[in-house]
Amino acid sequence: MSTITFHHGDGAVDTLDVAPGTSVMRAAVSNGVRGIVGECGGQAMCATCHVYVRPGYLAVLPEIGDDEDEMLDCTADPRDPRRSRLGCQVTLGEGLDTLEVDVPGSQV
Amino acid sequence: MTDSTLANSTPAEQTPPPRAVPVADWVTIDDLFRDPFPIYRRMREEAPVHWVPAVNRYMVTSYDACHTIENDQDVFSANEDGSLMKRAMGHSMLRKDDPEHMVDRQSYGTVLRPKAIKETWLRIFQQNSETYLARLKAAGPGADLVWDYAAPYAAENLRIIMGFHNASQEDMQRWSQTMINGTGNYADDPAVWAASEQSFREVDDAIDEMLPRLRANPDASLLSGLAAMPIPLEAIRANMKMTIGGGLNEPRDVLGVAVWALLDHPGQRDQVLADTSLFPRAFEEAVRWVAPIGMYPRQTTRDTVLEGVFLPKGARLGVVIGAANRDPAKFADPEAFDINREKVPHLAFGGGNHFCAGTWVARSSVADVALPQLFAQLPNLRLDPDNPAVDAGWVFRGMTALPVLWD
Ligand code: HEM
Ligand code: FES
Repeated sequence: MSTITFHHGDGAVDTLDVAPGTSVMRAAVSNGVRGIVGECGGQAMCATCHVYVRPGYLAVLPEIGDDEDEMLDCTADPRDPRRSRLGCQVTLGEGLDTLEVDVPGSQV
Repeated sequence: MTDSTLANSTPAEQTPPPRAVPVADWVTIDDLFRDPFPIYRRMREEAPVHWVPAVNRYMVTSYDACHTIENDQDVFSANEDGSLMKRAMGHSMLRKDDPEHMVDRQSYGTVLRPKAIKETWLRIFQQNSETYLARLKAAGPGADLVWDYAAPYAAENLRIIMGFHNASQEDMQRWSQTMINGTGNYADDPAVWAASEQSFREVDDAIDEMLPRLRANPDASLLSGLAAMPIPLEAIRANMKMTIGGGLNEPRDVLGVAVWALLDHPGQRDQVLADTSLFPRAFEEAVRWVAPIGMYPRQTTRDTVLEGVFLPKGARLGVVIGAANRDPAKFADPEAFDINREKVPHLAFGGGNHFCAGTWVARSSVADVALPQLFAQLPNLRLDPDNPAVDAGWVFRGMTALPVLWD
């Protein structure tokens, strides 16, 4: 199992244990974590699964792909040049057993 | 799960036994066509799903139920039996489930995505808007904003994006409407099939002609991308027809509804004119308020319970996003057009694996180009008190007449 922690703006925290291979978006949506929408079901097409990755984890994340990069320019809350990622493009497991992200205030 | 705040799925929780589906025999197609929203309200208040004899489908009207369907293709298949869309347009990605769906969807590559829009299409949207705005101005005050501007504008944008360099925007409009009519030809009217089948053949011929041309001289269009891909011709043909049917009327209709709503709500119109960065909000509220695609089909693959209601295997569903978008459980004062409402994700572009591939094309062409240009170039744009605007439809809904005046 991998562990992912969602930090909300009001200080609330959701921590989930998920099977390796689960995306941050899928983990959030199937467990009802508020603030992550995932309208397009993970196709890097809607930008409603935006998260800010906590700095300690940035080094172990995979590169941002072209589709993710252009979609990160379409997020409702501003893109952070270092920390912004699409939750559907970041998958737990394989060197990423724990992850902590901040949930943006708005996805639409 | 090691979570404290997410206690809603504890095994101890008892779910009540499923209820039988209520029948809405009072619903008629004519009433739906004229104004579906009071009907949707009554249905939503009764149950999230009804069997509707006049429509010959289960109509799903609550936001949560529509949302559940969109995200569960194992139970709610897009590959409907006896689909009229398959007959009218061929078996496109819209009627496939994954993994077959994903192969087709990926064949569209990056053509409809934000980067291509910024680099290639935005400039074309601006040119096309100028062209049809000039036509509207030439027609003079009293002209119809939908038929003299929105329809040819949306058609010409789509024609160029798709790569139909051998067709006209008028061809695109005719193909789109006749094949859509085929998709909705439940009455099996032979004249409707004849027109639809003629467009079917014309589109095939146009594709056959364009593929070698684009292989020799590639450009940024959809057909050009497809010409370079190992994708069966049959799939290309079906996906192109579906995209003609799904990519023209919807931007046209949201454009008409957004203008109508703003002109009918002068306070909000003034607010947007004072701060033009609000046009995208007006667009998003228009598409929520009157979803251009009001209903689309799904079919159950097994017996299931949806929001407490039992549905048998093989049940043909209508996912009524036009009703979901006005669900008071999700939207405060849902019947009102209000660009200042709290932002809540709407379902107008669908969701899950079939989430609209043209979302960003629609946003860019309507919210970033057409709406600001119209209001900037037509001073004192207003409704015509002597010629009322008409909104109509339910499976597809938009303005069928929008006569406007300006100074
Ligand atoms: C405001 C305008 C638009 C609205 C409201 C809209 C709405 C939708 C909806 C609800 C679906 C999903 C239907 C279903 O799941 O059965 C869809 C799918 C689709 N739309 Fe749009 N659409 C719009 C504009 C466009 C444009 C401009 C294009 C093309 C340039 C387009 C291309 C497509 C395609 C290709 C699909 C199929 C996606 C798939 O099956 O994976 N749409 N659209
Ligand atoms: S779920 Fe749509 S971009 Fe991630």
